[in-house]
Amino acid sequence: MSYLIVKRSCNRFSHLDFSKFQNFLSLNQNHKVLVSGLPSVLTKTIKNPSWSYFSVSKYHKFSHLSGKDKVLASGFGVLKSLFSTQAAVELSTSDGLTIDGIVASNWTILDESESDWKSHAAAIAQSIQVIKRRLQWKKLMVRLDLLSAQLNNPDLWDDPVHAGKISREHGSLMAKMKEVKALERELLEHIDMIKLAREEDDTELESETLKALLWMRRNSNEKELEALLSGEQDSCSCYIEVQGGAGGTESMDWAKMVMQMYKSWAQHHGYGVTVVDEMPGEIAGIKRATIKVDGEYAFGYAKAEVGVHRLVRISPFDSGKRRHTSFAAVAVIPILGDGSTRVQINESDLRIERFRAGGAGGQHVNTTESAVRIVHIPSGITATCQNERSQHMNKASAMAVLQSRLDQLEMARQAQINAQHTQSLTDIGWGNQIRSYVLHPYRMVKDLRTNYEVSDPDSVLEGEIDGFILSYLSASLDKDKDCP
Amino acid sequence: MKLGLSRACLYSCSCAPIFSSSMPSLTTIKPKIPVFLRPPTYLVTSLDLQKWHGWAKNLASSVGSSLVESDNGPDSTLLCREINWLLEDSLENRSSSSRFSFSQYKYDTSGKNESVMLRISLDDLYQLWKQRIEERRPFQYIVGCEHWRDLVLSVQEGVLIPRPETELIVDLVHDVVSNYEELGQGMWADVGTGSGAIAIGIRRIFGSYARVIATDLSPVAVSVATFNVQRYGLQDVIEVRQGSWFEPLKDVEGQLVGIVSNPPYIPSDNISGLQAEVGRHEPRVALDGGASGMDYLLHLCNGAAAMLKPGGFFAFETNGEKQCEFLIDYMQNDIAGSFCNLNIVSDFAGIQRFVTGFRQ
Ligand SMILES: C[S@@+](CC[C@H](N)C(=O)[O-])C[C@H]1O[C@@H](n2cnc3c(N)ncnc32)[C@H](O)[C@@H]1O
Repeated sequence: MSYLIVKRSCNRFSHLDFSKFQNFLSLNQNHKVLVSGLPSVLTKTIKNPSWSYFSVSKYHKFSHLSGKDKVLASGFGVLKSLFSTQAAVELSTSDGLTIDGIVASNWTILDESESDWKSHAAAIAQSIQVIKRRLQWKKLMVRLDLLSAQLNNPDLWDDPVHAGKISREHGSLMAKMKEVKALERELLEHIDMIKLAREEDDTELESETLKALLWMRRNSNEKELEALLSGEQDSCSCYIEVQGGAGGTESMDWAKMVMQMYKSWAQHHGYGVTVVDEMPGEIAGIKRATIKVDGEYAFGYAKAEVGVHRLVRISPFDSGKRRHTSFAAVAVIPILGDGSTRVQINESDLRIERFRAGGAGGQHVNTTESAVRIVHIPSGITATCQNERSQHMNKASAMAVLQSRLDQLEMARQAQINAQHTQSLTDIGWGNQIRSYVLHPYRMVKDLRTNYEVSDPDSVLEGEIDGFILSYLSASLDKDKDCP
Repeated sequence: MKLGLSRACLYSCSCAPIFSSSMPSLTTIKPKIPVFLRPPTYLVTSLDLQKWHGWAKNLASSVGSSLVESDNGPDSTLLCREINWLLEDSLENRSSSSRFSFSQYKYDTSGKNESVMLRISLDDLYQLWKQRIEERRPFQYIVGCEHWRDLVLSVQEGVLIPRPETELIVDLVHDVVSNYEELGQGMWADVGTGSGAIAIGIRRIFGSYARVIATDLSPVAVSVATFNVQRYGLQDVIEVRQGSWFEPLKDVEGQLVGIVSNPPYIPSDNISGLQAEVGRHEPRVALDGGASGMDYLLHLCNGAAAMLKPGGFFAFETNGEKQCEFLIDYMQNDIAGSFCNLNIVSDFAGIQRFVTGFRQ
């Protein structure tokens, strides 16, 4: 079987692109590893689509394994009928371990840097499962069986148009299925290899296989993320808006902390962050604020944050040192790309207001205040920008916000759904709590939708929220599964 | 409504330049370099900077809304934003300024003391902020620049700080050249150019053949405008000339396709009551439009009739509704036949601010 591996790798060899290989390395050095407890999904500084790295890891494995003459005794070798889906065949290692078996074993997933094959394998298996969920695996298999049956029917080609359609759909589903199967097979091969290496005390082979597993782990992570972020607007930049709830200064301070959390999160990911609008509280914090988060997939991730965030702590603003509960609402608006159909805005529907318009203006006044508010008269939607240093730039920024708000409204209208992430701040009911941050009497941040929790609130408030985001996104996949 | 002065008088006063013959020669005035363009040569610790920041914020807060009440000056919220901008301009890495303010809370808790490179000394920072609060020195003179449209223009004492209202003149010109393309290819003039704001703003929307001549009487304005024109690499297409209104433009009489201007238009009596930043620090020659404020506007109307080609466009900024209406009336009646399609355009505050029209 090692012959097979080598042969497959040789084919890849001709596609080798070294610059990608280096990219991959540097990309991964930036990755931050998450708090445990979640599929080892990496935080991704998504600059390059990940599928292209796949062959690179193969090459890597090849470079380490070639020249080895170990023989793998694995149980593959499936005989295929012409249009078999292989659905019935569950792949396993030579000693019968399957992918589901790995997941069921609940091996602890450790940090990537730990050279523990079980941890790598468990992480990869989880990624594969997410990918399968995204593909709606069971349905896909049923559909493939159906299509195969039709293709095997000799009368099919009596209607060539229909036959062509069936055959194309079959081909595309087959490709998806095979890709997953290939991942599964690769993982199982690695496991066989590592067991063999241990049996024979071949430390070199063991460490090489471990490395190969690590590459694979990173790769399947990338694929997993792609599976999680495949919504139509996911790749867009976005605005994040935060508004303090009732409760005065304490809530405004909390709103500021939440906004700070997103600023740090976005900066860690290499996203551009610009404050578009900020209404400071009288004593501390912010009444509301809008930031723009620029970069690929910003919306895909941030949409997981929409809803009300709750804080419990001893208020620093209460001289009686009592415990307070505060709320902050978060809305996320995608910034549609140029390719999307955007709402046409008529200049004549706009009222543009300048703040502090009092007095004669013009040469009489010198002010650095250049805030601009734009009202879209037909919808009543407004947008404000005050953080640029010129009125012109504030107007441009406010127009962009207005455009996105109108697009969002239109999307919600067209979809006739009120999907959470298309809600504006004003639509978000204060009852819609998604996460609770407790600083006192115990310390814990818990997502009320997924029950994902972290016992170190400081790290979360410093922007380490990927665990929450990813667990929510993968939980949403399961929800989607029930929809047609 | 009619303003108090007879038009004949208005017209005759305006011909005489305010400065008399002995103007300093151009080469003697070197424009000041705005803070954000200076080399970062001052090493300070983040703790010291933090200390300054705290001090500056305190000073800003002590102002409350007292200045708003006294002369429509800045309130403490605005001043605090200016502090951030001053830091933004002074810090070596402009983008790090945002990080600086983001991570303040970290500085406080960790007590970490990093060193930071500044473009001005810490002493200067203290000095400048004191001037801002105590002397009401305009923020834009402190940092030496004004963000205007998408431009960052150098400004200094002796030159008017371009106003946000004036940004609209560029939009007006933009609309006109989109409708009449040939206007975007000819020769334009911005008279009383100050920092060069309008000249630079409009030149950037024109086609490659268009030229703009920018004039100003003030030698400081001429040298600052020249600096700004060069900074935007427009020295081949914008020419800055010194002199009174159309005097330096005799060679192009009747050839201009467009004239824009924001001449001084504040009535002389109002000068003493101006907001401190304006009245105490900005040049009177850039503000005082004579008894009615209309001296130069009327001079420009008359001059424009001679300078513009038929079909040529003009846009003038005014003090508001009264001046707009007066100008329209003047052009329709007193110099009837010179201009057509006269229009009044309001600014964002809803004040009738601009008069536009075409040479017949
Ligand atoms: C209100 S400022 C406008 C400056 C600039 N165009 C702007 O909008 O920011 C008026 C300008 O007219 C200039 N000025 C005053 N008297 C002048 C004259 N007789 N000839 C030419 N320019 C003059 C002043 O120096 C000043 O720069």
